[in-house]
Amino acid sequence: MLVSSKRKGIFKTLLFLICLFLFQNKIFALVQPTTSFYVNDYANLLSESTKEYIQKANERLYQKTGSQIVVVTVLNLEGNSLEEYATELFRNFGIGSKQKNNGILLLLTLEERQFRVEVGYGLEGILPDAKTGRIQDEYIIPYLKQNKWDEGIQNGFKKILDEIVNYYGVDINMNIDPIEVESEEGNGSVVMFSIFGLPMISFLLGFLTKQLERDKILKKQHFKLFTFIYISGVFLFYWFYLRTLFATDLHISFYSYLCFVGILIGINGIAFASGRSKKHVVGFSIKGGSSSFGSSGGSHGGGGSSGGGGSSRNF
Amino acid sequence: MKKTSIVLIGIIAIFLVIGGILASSYNNMVSKKETIENTLSDLDVMLQRRADLIPNLVSTVKGYMNHESEIINQVTEARKNLVNANTVSEKLDANEELTHSLQALMVVVENYPELKSSSNFIQLSDELAGTENRISVARRDYNMAVNQYNTTIKKFPNMIFASLFGFEKENYYEAEASSTKVPSVSFE
Repeated sequence: MLVSSKRKGIFKTLLFLICLFLFQNKIFALVQPTTSFYVNDYANLLSESTKEYIQKANERLYQKTGSQIVVVTVLNLEGNSLEEYATELFRNFGIGSKQKNNGILLLLTLEERQFRVEVGYGLEGILPDAKTGRIQDEYIIPYLKQNKWDEGIQNGFKKILDEIVNYYGVDINMNIDPIEVESEEGNGSVVMFSIFGLPMISFLLGFLTKQLERDKILKKQHFKLFTFIYISGVFLFYWFYLRTLFATDLHISFYSYLCFVGILIGINGIAFASGRSKKHVVGFSIKGGSSSFGSSGGSHGGGGSSGGGGSSRNF
Repeated sequence: MKKTSIVLIGIIAIFLVIGGILASSYNNMVSKKETIENTLSDLDVMLQRRADLIPNLVSTVKGYMNHESEIINQVTEARKNLVNANTVSEKLDANEELTHSLQALMVVVENYPELKSSSNFIQLSDELAGTENRISVARRDYNMAVNQYNTTIKKFPNMIFASLFGFEKENYYEAEASSTKVPSVSFE
């Protein structure tokens, strides 16, 4: 009662300073959650639509399962290690429900060019480290390497959302269509087809047209026109589709493939004209196929991976 | 008579209060100790998991690296030491040694790009890295639990009863200061 207003003011500021000191994160300066909690785009990389998507999906997911997938982008880690930062942030934010521990953190740091998926205890069963690493390689990192932050993060978010939604067997009434970026090893069926199937087809077609020509059904001009159309078709197929698979050694792969196809058809003509056996030509076709495959192997996307309860990647 | 009963009640009240303090102090120390035990068992699980990943890694690597047997043997040795360790500090020391030998192995793996880019190896690397990080986290949690426990038993009034109940100070784990035990390898 005897305390003057001036003293009260001093006391208040002191109290404020003490609180500031006490509640400051003891370990290092983490970013704090934004009001949206799920989207913490400190590096300003995400589009409005992505942010809305993340927010909406999380709200529904949390309501149905208690799970949370928090996205954080920062400009840099302020000298801390990615793994320590991620774990501390995860715990600080308190991601996922307490009972089920089913939270996920997606952390991107711009300056260090690193990405980490941190998995809560409860989800380690369905999202073990190798799996989150693969998800990064196939859904996130290819975009980040091209500085396509928004697409990469949204795609990765969708994939992880997909996994969790399937695990819990719930429906959150949203479109979840993650795009798997085809790696050289992945999508083996297309690779197999283009390596073995196309040459086989080329051979058959070559044989057929040559035979038809000899039987005088097809005229020579038709044969030439046909081979021209076919080779253009292969070229276009390669240019617009296969190129993404054999991305790095583009020119080598393309030319070797084209030459191979051309030679195949040519050989057909010569072989049957001189009456050589089928076996010879078939053998050539398979051998040609494997050499084309060998020259188009690219280098794999690199990543330093360290931390755990998840996986880390450099981009 | 009234005075005696008041005194009696007073004494009983005091005893109750002291009893209450004792109880809460004891319970507090017990729960702090239990936290230490929990972090220790978490740590154990992670160390075991790391040890379990090693044989798979060794066989994958051996398929690609024929003449690097010395490095591979060092990894296998370090793993054996880890599995045979008993006390916490023994285990964590053995874990450090395993980390060093794995680091040496990874340096050599750089010379084998096919191995490095094989999906099997990438998966194993992720799993190993994950386990190692979990061990780090478990270790930090352990030290934090020890810190809280030690602080609790030193505070008033716990310190009075601590030794009475058998609560003693626990040890932190400190990693080796000089990490120069990287196994040396000779290439023929």
